[in-house]
Amino acid sequence: MNDLLLVSGVLIIPLLCGIISLFVTTPRFKIKEILAVLTTGFALVCSILLFSRDFNIMIPWLGQTYAIELHLDALNRVLLVAVSGFAFLITLFSIAFMQGQKKLNQYYAWLLITLGLASGVLLANNLFLLLIFWEAMLVTLIGFIILGGKEGSNRTALKALIINGITDLLLLIGVALTIYQAGSATISNIHLPLDGVNSIAFLLLMIGAVAKAGSMPFHTWIPDAAENAPLPFMAFLPAALEKLLGIYLLARISLNLFALTPASWLSPVLMVLGCVTILFAVMMALAQKDYKRLLSYHAISQVGYMMLGIGTAVPIGIIGGIFHMLNHAMYKSGLFLTGGSVEKQCGTTDLKSLGGLGRTMPFTFIIFIITACSISGVPPFNGFFSKELVYEGALDRHWIFYACAALGSLFTAISFLKLGHATYLGKKGEATANAKENSWLMLLPMGIIALGCIIFGIANWLPLNYFFKPVLDTAGLGEEFVQHPLGGLPGNPLLLIVTASVLILAVASHLLGFLRTKSGLQAADHIHHAPVLSTIYKWAEKGYFDPYYVGRYVVKGLAWVLFKIERAVDWLLTRVPALAAEWTGALLQKLQNGSYSLYILMALGGVIIMLLNLIFGTKG
Amino acid sequence: MALLLLFIPFLILIVINLPWRVSVSARIALGLVLAYCALQMVVVPILPVSFWQTPLNLPLSIGMDSLQIDWLSRLMLFCIPLVAICSLLTGVQYSKDLKNKFYFKNLILLAVIGMNGVVLARNLFSIYVFIEITSVASFILIASHREKGALEGSFKYLILSAIATMLMLTSIAFFLLTSDNTQFSTITTAIQTAQATGTNSGLLMEAALLLFIIGLLIKGGLFPFHWWLPDAYSSAPSEVSVLLAGIVTKVCGVYTLLRVMRDVPVLHPSINQGVLWVGLISIIVGALLAMRQKEFKRMLAYSSLSQVGYIIIGLASGTPIGYVGAALHLFNHTIFKTQLFINAATVEKSTGTGILDEMGGLSKRMPITGVTSLISFLSAAGIPPLAGFWSKLLIIVALFSTGYNVAAIIALLAGILTLGYFLIMQKKAFFGLLNEKWKDVKESGAAGLVCTIALSAITILVGLFLPYFLYTYFI
Repeated sequence: MNDLLLVSGVLIIPLLCGIISLFVTTPRFKIKEILAVLTTGFALVCSILLFSRDFNIMIPWLGQTYAIELHLDALNRVLLVAVSGFAFLITLFSIAFMQGQKKLNQYYAWLLITLGLASGVLLANNLFLLLIFWEAMLVTLIGFIILGGKEGSNRTALKALIINGITDLLLLIGVALTIYQAGSATISNIHLPLDGVNSIAFLLLMIGAVAKAGSMPFHTWIPDAAENAPLPFMAFLPAALEKLLGIYLLARISLNLFALTPASWLSPVLMVLGCVTILFAVMMALAQKDYKRLLSYHAISQVGYMMLGIGTAVPIGIIGGIFHMLNHAMYKSGLFLTGGSVEKQCGTTDLKSLGGLGRTMPFTFIIFIITACSISGVPPFNGFFSKELVYEGALDRHWIFYACAALGSLFTAISFLKLGHATYLGKKGEATANAKENSWLMLLPMGIIALGCIIFGIANWLPLNYFFKPVLDTAGLGEEFVQHPLGGLPGNPLLLIVTASVLILAVASHLLGFLRTKSGLQAADHIHHAPVLSTIYKWAEKGYFDPYYVGRYVVKGLAWVLFKIERAVDWLLTRVPALAAEWTGALLQKLQNGSYSLYILMALGGVIIMLLNLIFGTKG
Repeated sequence: MALLLLFIPFLILIVINLPWRVSVSARIALGLVLAYCALQMVVVPILPVSFWQTPLNLPLSIGMDSLQIDWLSRLMLFCIPLVAICSLLTGVQYSKDLKNKFYFKNLILLAVIGMNGVVLARNLFSIYVFIEITSVASFILIASHREKGALEGSFKYLILSAIATMLMLTSIAFFLLTSDNTQFSTITTAIQTAQATGTNSGLLMEAALLLFIIGLLIKGGLFPFHWWLPDAYSSAPSEVSVLLAGIVTKVCGVYTLLRVMRDVPVLHPSINQGVLWVGLISIIVGALLAMRQKEFKRMLAYSSLSQVGYIIIGLASGTPIGYVGAALHLFNHTIFKTQLFINAATVEKSTGTGILDEMGGLSKRMPITGVTSLISFLSAAGIPPLAGFWSKLLIIVALFSTGYNVAAIIALLAGILTLGYFLIMQKKAFFGLLNEKWKDVKESGAAGLVCTIALSAITILVGLFLPYFLYTYFI
């Protein structure tokens, strides 16, 4: 089949069906739902058919620089399948979860349009085109958040818009700079060394990419959105698609557009940013008392691993980062869906009122266990293997990065023990008394995702060798793996020992906390109330670490100063010329005094001046 | 055939003034004049230039051999009857005195003949004669209501016109000293040979040309020769203001200046510079004074001074693009200034006052007048996509392209002043709270409204379809 036809299946048809869905307001016959399932299913089929292909399409548009260029290579064909797969699963989940909600036409429209745009971002072989799709995704993001319909939804949407708007602006400058430096906007033609201006361009593109993925300090809208936006949105965008796209761009710029080497100063920058993101976000997650909010902080924390992995700039770390991206998208959206499952039954995700759901919702509990083990890095699940690869890369650079990452793992495990304990074990409360297992339509997508976590864990050589090694091969970094074949347990026994001790430590910490407080929810409080940490937590809760929050005060102050300056300039520009005009006008009006002789004199004066000018003026 | 444009109105003039018992009634006379104007307005753009260029062998055509027609003439030949019709309709509607109306028609027809002649002639002396015909008609028209202010305005116009006459006649005398006649072609070759031989007569010819140009500047009412203009415009009856501001000073002063400076191109650069500075100072002085005016019509008079300044700097650039810009702004100015004077007349008729401060919120009671004023002043201020934007753009582009950067910047900035005084006018007269006094005021009469709506439509259409317009008539 023709490449273009398949491409339109993942790109144009979702966009069109999304727009159509916007106009289907009737709740009858489930038209929107059927349309969405068919479209996403078709996109999934198309993307799978595209998997074995490799193409480069160029359709001229606005001259050579701004052409519609699409390409498919080792990196984006995997992600294309992942994106449409997630869209399909989330759509299935949404049919049951979103039933009876208002404005469903908008919800499915945003979902389908987001799928089309995400495919566009992945397929674009032109930085300019990529930017267009990238920016357009902001619209659906805002649309999704507003659909939450809660009190703070609009404010969160504005916050997301401003933060993403600023980082996208940086991305735009980065794109412009790259195009200028490379003299071409075609991604596959650009390969610049990382020096001078190029490193600035890389930095700007990197900020745009990691901000999309939700790294610190551009993450602050995500926990707010977890509370205010519809839940499947969280599983779809911040947990899956934004990570995929953000890290895709990061991998793209570090592998293809520029050559990120361990020697470049940008590699440590990326690694430090990754470590900071891992630690801060996981510490915040530890203190959360809400299912979704806790997950959202983990969604931020895990980005750190991917950035750390790619930032190491050694092949094993890069492949770990990319692998972790896909694994994270799976287990995190799975986790969010279990949250949705709980919310659907109990009407709340507040951990204080949850408990004892393990017996009444066994499937949800099982899926939660699988995905939670996965994120905590428990052996046969996928998260373990990708983390080990990242660790190996980090250890290759410096032990401090590895220590940070392992510490992050410890807190991750502790917080998920707490979450599972508080939700699924313990006593039943008022909210959970009548909970029962959800319909198969909701369990099916969760089950598929959990199954994926297991397969990618046990058979980790499969994705590593067939999905991700070609990426490194095309970037010229593949020789490393000839001697050390990918897959299986890590070769370095130190890594295994540390991981095992981290997990044991986490269980010990949880048991200690539980014995002290007799409550699963408060099992991590001894960390929360530790001497120095408690102050930091207090500050964090007040928003001192939120650049948006701080920025608002800075902007307010700046606005005051600028207002005063503006008043002064305004006075200078409006009052002064106005006064000058008035005075000059008054003077001129005095000349117009009705005296004929004065008029005649003035006219003759004009004649004489012009004649003199003619006689003595410069002869050209 | 161009001669027909002088001959037919002259015949009509005779017919409506037949003595004894055969004299026609005022109504028929009006009909004839209107019909002629409408005919000229339609026929001139439709028939090709070649038609008008074919000579007409009439016994009367002796000495009229230098009548010619080109795109510039056609543009003006379209504007002249348009404004005349507007003026006539306004007059019919707003003037009660029937006898005056009869004079009015005669004089307007006379002015039309004079202006047609100015536009067609390619001879300095013929131009001078036709200007005088137009001026005489205007003097009488201004004073036709025999009010004190009108008589004073008319007299000022007369006095300053006398200086202009004197300068123009002196200039013609100088020309005749060295060349055989005052045809443009003859003058051009005479100046060229004088410059080539390097004799003193070269300077004499240039001085003569400058004197003629100054005469035209006086007729066009540019600073520092504008003293007659505010009085004449504001004290004349409304319908005469329309004619005078809309077309008479434009044809007698500005068009002729454009014609002379375009067709006699071998000018000393300091003449161009002098004209440029006259234009720039006029723009600023006119705008500053317009801001201070309390009377609607007087404000419009000063705004005329300012807008004519733009036309002058356009043609002073001395490039084809500048000439086109100047011609286009001349056209636009004719349209929007006519319209504004009609609106001023409507407002004065409805409320009985011409003082801006006494008005207020009139848009609520007179929506058409309010909106059309808005359109015309936006066009004057050069707001896209209205017609005025394009002409100002061309003028400023022409200035930049000839290296008069300072002048271009001043002209650009003075656009703010234009917006300023028109906004003051619009705010005082039409926007804001309705003055209690005028809560029963209504639009007065259909004729004025039809004219102003038609002119607004022209402003908008020319603005939107300017490229078509440019290619059809200018290039």
